[in-house]
Amino acid sequence: MPLDLSGKQYKDVPYEEKERLFEEVKRDFRFDEYLYGCYECGICTAACPSARFYDFSPRKIAQTAARQDVELFYVFMNDSVWDCSQCFSCDRCPRKNSPGGLITLMREVAVKNGLDSAKEAIEGYGRVVFKIMSTGTQVSPDMLQANAFPDWGPHVKDIAENLDVWRRALPPETMHTTESSWQVDSKTITELYLIWHMTGVMDMIKEVDEGLFMILQDVMEEKLEDEGYDVSFD
Amino acid sequence: MPELPILVVGGGPAGMEAARGIAELGYQAVVVEKQSVLGGTPELAGYAALTPDFADAGEAMKKMAAAIEGDPNVEIRLGSTVTAASGSAGDFEVTIKNRDTADKVRVGAVILATGFQHFDPGRETQQYGYYEFDDVITLVDLEQMLHRKELVRPSNGEVPKRLCFIQCVGSRDRQIGNEYCSKVCCGVAAKQSIEVRQLAPDCRVFVFYIDMRMYGYWENEIYWPSQEEYNVNYVKGIATEVLKKGDGLLVRGEDTTMGRPMEVPMDMVVLSVGMEPSAGTREMAKIFGCAQNKYDFIETTEGALNTVATTADGVFACGAATGPADLEDSISSAAAAAMKAIATVRRAVAAS
Repeated sequence: MPLDLSGKQYKDVPYEEKERLFEEVKRDFRFDEYLYGCYECGICTAACPSARFYDFSPRKIAQTAARQDVELFYVFMNDSVWDCSQCFSCDRCPRKNSPGGLITLMREVAVKNGLDSAKEAIEGYGRVVFKIMSTGTQVSPDMLQANAFPDWGPHVKDIAENLDVWRRALPPETMHTTESSWQVDSKTITELYLIWHMTGVMDMIKEVDEGLFMILQDVMEEKLEDEGYDVSFD
Repeated sequence: MPELPILVVGGGPAGMEAARGIAELGYQAVVVEKQSVLGGTPELAGYAALTPDFADAGEAMKKMAAAIEGDPNVEIRLGSTVTAASGSAGDFEVTIKNRDTADKVRVGAVILATGFQHFDPGRETQQYGYYEFDDVITLVDLEQMLHRKELVRPSNGEVPKRLCFIQCVGSRDRQIGNEYCSKVCCGVAAKQSIEVRQLAPDCRVFVFYIDMRMYGYWENEIYWPSQEEYNVNYVKGIATEVLKKGDGLLVRGEDTTMGRPMEVPMDMVVLSVGMEPSAGTREMAKIFGCAQNKYDFIETTEGALNTVATTADGVFACGAATGPADLEDSISSAAAAAMKAIATVRRAVAAS
């Protein structure tokens, strides 16, 4: 393999393709209320927890979109947008922009278009996505067991063993989901599967993780068939 | 002592408003205007639309002129200048000269409404190639194009595809000597950026700035719409130079908020030139003995509580004669000057 000195972690594409992705983000009905104009004042970045740990700036993402800088927008779409924790602390913008919301749109377009960055970002979360989408409920803290998440590193085992201690360090109650997360009403699951199907969520999964898509497809098609629906996810 | 008229020097917006106020309150005004028409810089420089409401500048000036023309309390002397003055508050004698004759007139008080001139980008050093490249123009030049509804590159007559404004040209600059903010150029540039986008929808518009000073309603009435509805790009960072590149121009600067150097091609560059005291303002300050500040504008003496008093008793200054002012400022200070000039005349009558 030839040595790549470009420093780029992602594939470059023609300008027209970058423009197409930018336009797809702009076309989203939420775009107009997520981005008005940007003062470039930095209040969003100052409020952003991720910005304290990563080379990440919601301000730069908002101003890039506001300036219609298609080239830089593509760079961010492949990189920075995945540093956001979607906490929306940035929503305190004086222009009423929502950089976090804008990032949501950028991520969705990245996923829908199967950008490598999206695949990479979602890679480590396959089992979490599977859990949420197949059971319709969250991953509760006690589900994070070393045998279920071996690639998450040795700390998973440590945390699982002393879960109560670790969780007591967090001010809000976080253990209340350990019971509710295991059980979901059958009708709820059925409806959720139909929603995933009808809103195109399954198409997005297929675009970024074919393997995960196939496993989910089996589970969902079988369940829906049992419930009397004739649905194909292909 | 008889009730003497009030001399108003300058027939621009401030002078016209001062005269209107004087006449409306039943006093006499003599308006001396160097040019052959009323209207001042908005009229003479061919302004198209006013900031921030896009009202027709020509019509606005005509309306102001119509309010004093034919008023028996207002004597308008066009093509005239004041060449000498003597006396004191309540009783001045001024020499008013036109092309053919000079006569002496007794006035009770004086209002200087002699305004400003636009900064000349070639005044001291050649800035941004204004005299070198056809496609580098000023706000004033662009205003005239907008007036004609014809936005084309002077070099080749084509509609520009990329146009930028460079803010603070001749303002806020210790090197130039004009350390003050000229106050209106941000608003005017934002207004013009919208007009450019309306006239040439395919033209991308950039504004390179140090700070955008959009006070009061200028913020939401022109600045926000220019960004949000017309996609004008505001980039914090002033261009250091404009170079020729091929058929176009290359603007070099720093995109400070992105933290990177910037070299961008442009078809047209608009220099947002600021205000300097007009020749008339400088001359009248000397003739009436009014102290000038270090920039040669007429100094007002009592800060925020009196925006029109000068160091010469009975002589008031308003509008851009005292420093950068927009139309609203000029009209307001003209009314204040009219009130204080009338008070001076009344006191003189009462004292006699």
